[in-house]
Amino acid sequence: MNIKSLYFFLIGIACFGSVSSGVDLDNRVREIAHQLRCPTCQAMSVKESDAGISLNMKQRIRELLEEGKSEEEILRFFVDRYGEWILRSPKKEGFSLLLWTMPGLIIVITVLLLFQYLRKKSRMTTIPDTRPLSEDEQRQIEKDLKRL
Amino acid sequence: MNRKLYFLLGILFTIGLVIILIYGLFYASRPGEIPSALISQSAKPFQATTFDGQAISLTQFQGRPVILNFWASWCVACRQEAHIIEAAYQDYGKSGAVFIGIAINDTREASLAFIHRYGKTYLLAPDDSTGTISLDYGVTAVPETFLIDKNGVITDKILGAITRQTIDHFLAGQLQ
Repeated sequence: MNIKSLYFFLIGIACFGSVSSGVDLDNRVREIAHQLRCPTCQAMSVKESDAGISLNMKQRIRELLEEGKSEEEILRFFVDRYGEWILRSPKKEGFSLLLWTMPGLIIVITVLLLFQYLRKKSRMTTIPDTRPLSEDEQRQIEKDLKRL
Repeated sequence: MNRKLYFLLGILFTIGLVIILIYGLFYASRPGEIPSALISQSAKPFQATTFDGQAISLTQFQGRPVILNFWASWCVACRQEAHIIEAAYQDYGKSGAVFIGIAINDTREASLAFIHRYGKTYLLAPDDSTGTISLDYGVTAVPETFLIDKNGVITDKILGAITRQTIDHFLAGQLQ
């Protein structure tokens, strides 16, 4: 490889590197924006929303990333200002932990109760009746057998 | 465990679920009804330049109650409250109350036209292009007003057009 080729190769690497890091930054902005609720649109994420406040939030996320802030620090930035509701997924702590565990708990309890009910029912139907036949029952059986 | 206990547990469980459902549907889904995370906290300092070129900062108004209103010219409810805030400013401005209006996500021309149309004369400044001040205050929509007491603490946040009664009640306690 001669010097000229090396030169263009290095320039190419530098350009690709900057484009790549730009794309990375965009992706990180989107990832974090996806975790935040649009304050105006409620049902949408900041990533999906084109509301003015969401656009501002996306720009602020970008700035904070460029400052070297971590995802957790950026999310904390918005939680400090808006409250926990700004997160689309509740944090797995405190009262919010109940929201995460409740569906699973309901399913487990339901399955256990159902299992217990079915076991109890099956036990009742499989216990044989060992009482001896009464005289009336014996007579009826003999009568039916004669008819056959 | 007997049947009655199962039944009771089931009822309590269902009541708990209903409470959580109500919380989710009616409380957590309407940001305007969720108290600001900044209530009872010190108001974040900010600096701005008013539409007529005056540099202002929140810290210069220490010791005075502040009504900090976020608005925009395209906001319908902002038109409803424009006269209310201006009238309150005329009544309380000389007594030491500070009225600041921050325009967000708006063009300078549209903001100025709005100011002129509604005769607003208190301190009015645009937020920067990335909404720094509005983000620092956790603004969810416009109009949104923050009541800041003499000690620089945010005492209330009002989403939607502010009423005269709210302003009077707040300032009555601050300007004694």
